[in-house]
Formats: sequence, C-alpha cells, structure tokens
Amino acid sequence: MSLVVDKPRGQGWTASALLAPATIFIAISLFAPLGILFRYSLNEFVPSTKTMVEALTVANYVKFFTDPYYTAALATTIKVSLLVTVVCLIVGFPLAYVMARTQSRFKHLLIIATVLPLFVGNSVRAAGWMVVFGNKGFVNASLMGLGVISKPLEIMFTENAVIIGIIAVNLPFMVLSLQSVIEGIDRAVEEAAFSLGAPPATMFRRVLWPLALPGILAGTILTFILAMNAYATPFLLGGPTFKMMAPVIYNEFTQKTNWPFGGAIAFILMSVTLGLTLIANLLIQRRSAR
Amino acid sequence: MAQLDIQNLVKRYGDFHAVRDVSLTVADGEFLVLLGPSGCGKTTTLRMVAGFIEPSAGHVKLGGADVTLLPPWKRNAGMVFQSYALFPHLTVAQNVAFGLEMRKVPRPDMNRRVEETLALVRLEGYGGRLPRQLSGGQQQRVALARALAIHPDVLLLDEPLSNLDAKLRQEVRVEIRELQQRMGLTTVMVTHDQEEALTMADRLVVMNEGSVRQVGSQRDLYERPADKFVAGFVGRSTFLDGTVEAPGCFRTEGGLSLVCAGGTAGKASLSLRPERLEIAAAPLAGLDNCLPGTVEFVSYLGAMIDIHVRLSPADRLVVQIANREGGFTPDVGQSVHVGWRASAGQVFNA
Repeated sequence: MSLVVDKPRGQGWTASALLAPATIFIAISLFAPLGILFRYSLNEFVPSTKTMVEALTVANYVKFFTDPYYTAALATTIKVSLLVTVVCLIVGFPLAYVMARTQSRFKHLLIIATVLPLFVGNSVRAAGWMVVFGNKGFVNASLMGLGVISKPLEIMFTENAVIIGIIAVNLPFMVLSLQSVIEGIDRAVEEAAFSLGAPPATMFRRVLWPLALPGILAGTILTFILAMNAYATPFLLGGPTFKMMAPVIYNEFTQKTNWPFGGAIAFILMSVTLGLTLIANLLIQRRSAR
Repeated sequence: MAQLDIQNLVKRYGDFHAVRDVSLTVADGEFLVLLGPSGCGKTTTLRMVAGFIEPSAGHVKLGGADVTLLPPWKRNAGMVFQSYALFPHLTVAQNVAFGLEMRKVPRPDMNRRVEETLALVRLEGYGGRLPRQLSGGQQQRVALARALAIHPDVLLLDEPLSNLDAKLRQEVRVEIRELQQRMGLTTVMVTHDQEEALTMADRLVVMNEGSVRQVGSQRDLYERPADKFVAGFVGRSTFLDGTVEAPGCFRTEGGLSLVCAGGTAGKASLSLRPERLEIAAAPLAGLDNCLPGTVEFVSYLGAMIDIHVRLSPADRLVVQIANREGGFTPDVGQSVHVGWRASAGQVFNA
C-alpha cells in the first residue's frame, strides 16, 4: 500500500508560490537592512578619518545612554509621542463615533475629508504650519489684529508646534481605526445599556469602550509608532534646538557619517517603541480581561 | 408593573409622519401587540415608549407618571431587542446583573436575583458563559432575563422572535406568554407576524401608515375588521371589487349580482374569508349566494387545500377547504359552484 497524504486544494505548491513574492520582498527589504544595520551598530567609528572599523563592541549603545544630549532626545520623543497619542484618542473618538453612526448621505465625504490631509506630504504640510504659526503668521496676525494680544505668541520652533503638527498628521489614522471598529458595534447594544438604567457616561465606560478596545489599541499603537518616528514635522517645526529621535538619527548618518552610532540609535528607538507598545498592549488587555 | 398610557403620540421627520396621533392604554398586566406591515410606525411607537425617540407631540405615562421627557435610563422599561443586543464582552450572569448594578442593588441580593431570573427562563448553570457560546434561542432568553431582572414597569418586545427558526418560534411564543401571565407583566410587543400576534396578545392594535386602524381582541379583528386594510392584514381575505347598488345588493366589476350584508351605495369591495366559502360540483342550496365557476389553480397545503375559482372574467375567489378523507377536491379546469351566506362577507366602501 502506498501512503498518500491527502492535501486540501490550494495548500500545496500553488499557495507557496503565491505567498513567495511578498515573503521574499519583506525578507530582503526589511530584515536584510535591519541585520546589516545591527551589525554596523557593533562596529567602531574613527572620527578623524570618518571611517567605520570592523569590531564587536557595545560602545555605541553605552555612549547613547551616558550622554544626556541623546537621552534627552529620547525622553522628549517619548513625551511628545505619548501626549500626541492621548490627544488623538480624546479628540478622535467623538469624531470616529459620529462618522460610524451617522445616517447622513454625506458620510463618504466626511471620511474623505478625514483622509484628505494625508494626500499632502509631511514636509509640505509642515511648511503650511510654519506659515500659520510664524510671528507674522495667520494665528498671530489674527489675534494681534483683533487686539487680543499685543506681541506675537511664540509658537513656531517650540514643542507645542511639533505636538500640534504631529497630531494633525496622526489624527486620521486614529479616527479611521476607531471608526471601523465602532461601526461593527450594534447600536442596539448601547440602547440596551440605556434601557437598563445606564446614563451615557456609564454606558461608554461599561459597553462602548470595552467593545471598541481593538480599535483603540490599533489606533493608539499606529499613532504612537508614527509619532515616535516622526521626522519632517519635528525637524521643520521644532527648529534647531528641539531634538527628537528621527532627526538625530538622520543627522548621525548624513552629517557625521557615523554609521555605527546612527545604527545603534536606530535600534534603540525601535526597541523602545516596540517595548512601550507591548507594555501598553498587555496593560490594556489585562485590565479589560477581568 | 404598571399601567401604560400613550396619549396623542406624534412623530414627524420633516414632512414625513412616522406616527400620527396614536393613543393607547395598556392595562396593568395586559399583553398588547402592535401589528402592522414594515414602516407602519409600530417600532417608532415602541421606541418612543422606551425613550429612544423623542415624540414630536403627545405624552407617555407609566403608572400615571409622565415620562415623556425622561431619557431611557430614567424610565423603568425592560426592552428585548430584535438582535437581542446582549453585551458580547460580559457573561450571561453579568448581562443579567447589568441593570441591577445600575440600580445599586447590594451584591448578595443581586446574585440571588440573577439566579432567580435565569431560572425563570430555564438557563440555570449558564451564568458563566459568554453570549456567543449560546444558541439563538438561549440568547433570546438571556435578553428576556436581562429585561425582567430589573423588575420593569413595562416590558417592551421589539420583534423578539424574528431571528428564531420557525419551530423554536412556536415554543418561545408560548413560553413568553406563560411567563407574562404568571408574572402579570404589562407588555407591549411589536410584530409583523400576525400568527405570532394572535397567539400571544390579550389585545391587538393594527397599525398602518402611522395610524391605528383598529384595536381589539383577535375575534374582533377577524370577525369585524374596521376597514379593508385590517380585513386583508389579519387573517386572509379575497376581495371582489364593484359597487353597492342598494344596501344588501352588490354588483361586481364582472357584472355578478350578489346579496351582501348592508353597505351604502357607491364603489366598494366585498371581502370574503376563504374558509367561509363552500364549494361543490352541484349548485348549493340554502345559501344567499351561489355562483358557477371554473377552477383555475389548486394549492395543496396539507391540512388545507386552496382552490382559486374564476367566477367571471373580472372576478376570482380563493376557497379554502379542509383536507378531509373522501372530501370534495376539484381539479384544475373543473366546473364548480361556490356559495356563501350574505353574513359571511363584509362590504367596505371605497
């Protein structure tokens, strides 16, 4: 008797062949550069000749954590990202809720309007913000013209400008993540809570929030990662003294051509982002699983 | 439990009147069914009682207190939704306990009441399950238990059986009705299924296009329908269109002259119940009307047989006969006679 393993259709060579291109592409384009970069981060850098010397050392990582200039940049990045994420969640939830629940025939226009800002590149948008925030910009000119303030507000080249800028970029991601999940929640479930005696705030806490949690997680993670890695916005709106991680890494690679140290910072940023995301994920899931 | 009064309730959406001037009283412990086709305003009426929709005019009173302006969470109305709307992230016991938590019932009392209510719907031992681990019928019972646990002043059922399969629906119908009678629950149910309405209700309200067409018992609606809509909607009727020439004298569009009960002169429809008509091969004696015709269509329903008979080029009737052994069952194309008493028909002037 011969042993014949009966495979369901589509699980043999065909499926493998279909999966291969994407898998190979990801392997080459993501893991290969990461691997090379990680290897670089363990090399030595000779400042006098601006060259990389093959080595196996953690000196670059030690340098990052012992130099307050870099740890401050990391702290700023985490602080800004957390703030941006929280604001996006608070501002985005009501908007997402309305978009998910509306019966209006202009619903698709609302969604397009939300996504529209993403059609403009980050640097172009940042340039727009510069016009709005500048000393003679839209905000200051309007407020001074109305006599609300006598001298221009310092918005441009501050942390606040960066935060506002990144929120504007990230809000659509948060709103769309939340909207798709809220749309899947039966409206009658909210009404059931009302009819059982729950006022709106209680209904939100006990029913809507836990049911929307997958969307909240997705939106929060997306927003947080995007903020942690923001480059154009902090670079253009933060000015020369404001430091976030992505511009610092770029600076190491291009201005100083210090590839080992740049690689090390890149890995630190990635690890911190991943670590914080995982911790938040675990915390939220544990709290909701009670 | 309490009496529910609906007074001159109106709901307008722009120019569209979803509900026009509906007034109803549901006595303490009464089971009232709102019956009508989709879009007739029955669900809107129920949702105004629950507090989900604010009426454009009129009042809702629960136990004598005006609750028209109260939000749903301040009314003591238990609602069972068509989709059940169970909280998918909470266990069966937590679902049932939800309303009690909102009422700040102390923990030991709450647990006891959850147990009691689950026993009431025969779901003892299911408290720890999640809704998705239950069958459709069980989910429906959890929804009912959740609404009953709060000891509501009124129980509102929004097409509660429409998601169950036909066999289960018949069982649950009886179950809900028995529970309602045992506990003396003031209940309002909305349905478009007349069989469901007839088996469960103390009193029925037939609605169409936002207004109440008739309120009454099953017998009232069936034997004395107020208008042509009710005659067609409750039970089955075949209509012959024509004119009343004088009271008691009806002429169909096809020119047949019939004896009818009452009616005022003018254009009218004669409504006949298919099972009140008699059919035979030979002319029928002793009936007010007896007409020859040809069988055009026969549908065999098991216990009953429907026979469609053409009386004239413009007039066709449906006769329903019981499927008795050795009974008369004509074939298509056969010549027959159809007869009925004048009192079996009802005339509705157009």
